[in-house]
Amino acid sequence: MAGAAMTKRTRSACWLALVLALLAGCARRPAPPAAGGEVVVGILADISTFNEYQSLGDAYEAQVMDLLFPSLLVEQPDWQEHPPTFAPSLATRWETSADGRVITFHLRPDARWSDGVPITADDVRFTFDVQRDERISAPGLEIKRFIEAVEVVDPHTVRFAFSRVYPYQLMDANDGHVIPKHAWGAVPLERWESTDFGAILVTGGPFRVASHARGQTLVLERDPNWWGAPRPYLDRLVFRVVPDSGGQLAQLLAGHLDLVEVVPPREAGRVAASPELELLRLPGRTWGFVAWNNRRPAFADRDTRCALSLAINRPTLVESVYHGFARLGTGPVLASMWAFNKALAPLPFDPARARELLARAGWRDADGDGTVERGGRPFEFDLLVPAGNNLRRDMALLIQADLARLGIRCRPREVEAAAHLALLDAGDFDASLTAYTEATKVELASVWATPADDGGSYNFAGYSNPEVDRLIAEADAAPDFESARPILDRIQELIVADQPVTFLYESDKLVAMNRRIRGARINSGSIFFNADEWTAGR
Amino acid sequence: MPRFLLRRFAAAIVLVWLVATVTFALVSLAPGDAAAGLADPRVAPEVRERFRRDFGLDRPWPARYLTWLAGAARGDLGVSWVHHRPVAAVLADAVPATALLAGLGLLLEIAGGLALALVQLRRPHGRADRALTALSLVAYALPAFVVALLLQYLFAYRFRLLPPSHTLSPGGELLTGLPRLLDQLRHLVLPVAAIALTGAGAVARYLRGSLLDERGQLYVLAARARGCSERRALWAHALPNALLPLVTMVGLSLPFLISGSLVIEVIFAWPGMGQTMVAAALARDLPLLMGGTLLATLAVVAGNALADLAYALVDPRVRL
Repeated sequence: MAGAAMTKRTRSACWLALVLALLAGCARRPAPPAAGGEVVVGILADISTFNEYQSLGDAYEAQVMDLLFPSLLVEQPDWQEHPPTFAPSLATRWETSADGRVITFHLRPDARWSDGVPITADDVRFTFDVQRDERISAPGLEIKRFIEAVEVVDPHTVRFAFSRVYPYQLMDANDGHVIPKHAWGAVPLERWESTDFGAILVTGGPFRVASHARGQTLVLERDPNWWGAPRPYLDRLVFRVVPDSGGQLAQLLAGHLDLVEVVPPREAGRVAASPELELLRLPGRTWGFVAWNNRRPAFADRDTRCALSLAINRPTLVESVYHGFARLGTGPVLASMWAFNKALAPLPFDPARARELLARAGWRDADGDGTVERGGRPFEFDLLVPAGNNLRRDMALLIQADLARLGIRCRPREVEAAAHLALLDAGDFDASLTAYTEATKVELASVWATPADDGGSYNFAGYSNPEVDRLIAEADAAPDFESARPILDRIQELIVADQPVTFLYESDKLVAMNRRIRGARINSGSIFFNADEWTAGR
Repeated sequence: MPRFLLRRFAAAIVLVWLVATVTFALVSLAPGDAAAGLADPRVAPEVRERFRRDFGLDRPWPARYLTWLAGAARGDLGVSWVHHRPVAAVLADAVPATALLAGLGLLLEIAGGLALALVQLRRPHGRADRALTALSLVAYALPAFVVALLLQYLFAYRFRLLPPSHTLSPGGELLTGLPRLLDQLRHLVLPVAAIALTGAGAVARYLRGSLLDERGQLYVLAARARGCSERRALWAHALPNALLPLVTMVGLSLPFLISGSLVIEVIFAWPGMGQTMVAAALARDLPLLMGGTLLATLAVVAGNALADLAYALVDPRVRL
């Protein structure tokens, strides 16, 4: 009996304890994940500078700067569904004026640089002055061209005044990290290029630099004074320079590295087979194409260019060269982007239709030598391939074989990378196998508008369609995304119909990560998007 | 001797100037420039033009060359376009790493080659000699990258006895004293072994041949006739003469201490001159390329001059 009462009492006590525990759990915020741990990241080359406004716009360096320096807002990886949105960061909130020309940012009052000095609107203003200065090589001058002034309202409020209303105002205002005026403002801008900013480094991000052995290891450690405390949870993020991707993979598989950003497609299987590793397949931002030199008679007409696109077996190319880790290219906007015209589909592989178009364009094998001619000139050309890029060399060989079946003589020619660009710049080429990596901003003018006579364009194919030029200008002048969208759709239709280039593929980004890293929300725009939330079990 | 040195010095200045001029001209005349890396739709085309203007790439190359030459004559090698630091500082980081690796590699390759040759000479044409001849030929014939990858695979990945790359473990920069030294030594083993293994084969082949020749010379016979022990005849008489070709070999290898080995440095992620200069060439970082070329040329000139001097010191027949 006593035993039964005891059991009853014990049971009641247990229930009471459980209820109390639940109540306590509801009252408190969830406990943060276990702090500590270290993640070792493989990089191909060392960080060249800690001052991004000294740099030439290296995408990887920009990602590392995300860990060290604050930005007003954080761009969200939601560009697939709609134009990217922004989350608060150094700025806790912002508002746009009624006429749309002024955006006011309110900064966190508790934000501090790593030396304890508050991060204020003066730093934001100083950053803007640097970005807009002619003496700085970094790309800020162009990105901020519509920002007329940045005004310090009070230490924690800053106002951006624009010369016009356009869809990317927030993105442009946010572009570039805020840098410390009190630490770097004393260096004259003429001397920035030769200044070692690592020696006067003051940071304001979730991590700070613990040590830097040039050319081999950069160690970042958590900054306990960061405003997001208790984040970051990791003790250290270590960047190890391993200058070739084969070496990176070997070290990843052996456990010396935890994260590798670029896994070659042919090695993806080895990563996927490893129980310790996770292979992340992300819709990439790189697209490859064959630029036909539209200025040359052989490629000047649309039928010929379309025939070339239809004659190349792109599905096989994607499968054999990219091992399936790519999608067929469709048009000038990545299929994974919000602005992609979903009514468009990739051109099929259709050699019969290609033959018809070639014949319609006047190409015939009149002398029976196996090569088609037009106006007495055989259809033969050099296809430039940047030297040392095995994937593109393999593609060029496949393209050569496909075109040979239609009586077109294509000669792949490997050219050193800088010389390759010089030939493209000068328009001194027939065809070129090239790839571009796109930003999240849809900006079509530099690649698709008729190039100006003085150069300054990435439209190496020399494509020129007055209607496309007009629509690009119209889209750029649109005040918001909704009004720009139908114009962008039409531009894509026109370019796809013209086939100034053959849209070959849009490659996936393959990232390999050790499974002990938890909480990582890696996206193709930024590996370290939420690095402050990562944990790494030992 | 002073005349020799003076002559050598004058010739060195002309040679260095010639190499620098030809390098500057070749890099400048080759199609493309440092702005190539900016061909990216994420960077406005105007940025490329501004970059060209800021770094003087829009000026004719002879004008840029004269500016560079005037700076170099004053000891100012300019600022690296990629590293954003003075070229001298970039080289000062890379040279010690390479000198340590290549210096230890060279020492070990000589010591290893000498040991092999001496073992072989205990019974020339015997079983051990034949086996070691075959072994040193294989080592000599194997490309450095094969040996390096093999060593890395076996000792770093298969048996996990040694670190696969770098000069220190992650976070090793924070170590001090003995733990740091031990960590550095562990990282040196594989790259030094890769250099020494391939080089020792060649040294052994040279030394074995010249030692065999010297041992048959009359002066060695005379030494033996005077009652010299076999060991003393070898070490005190034959060896110093047999080492003469090695002096030239080492002299010619000295520039390697500065210029480094790209293959070994890439495989073992060693932050030395080889890697630095190849990266500079790919990025068309002209100031850094020129600085590295100057240094490498000086090393070649100095190596040759030192070899000649050493020859004169060890061989009384040679007069400078």
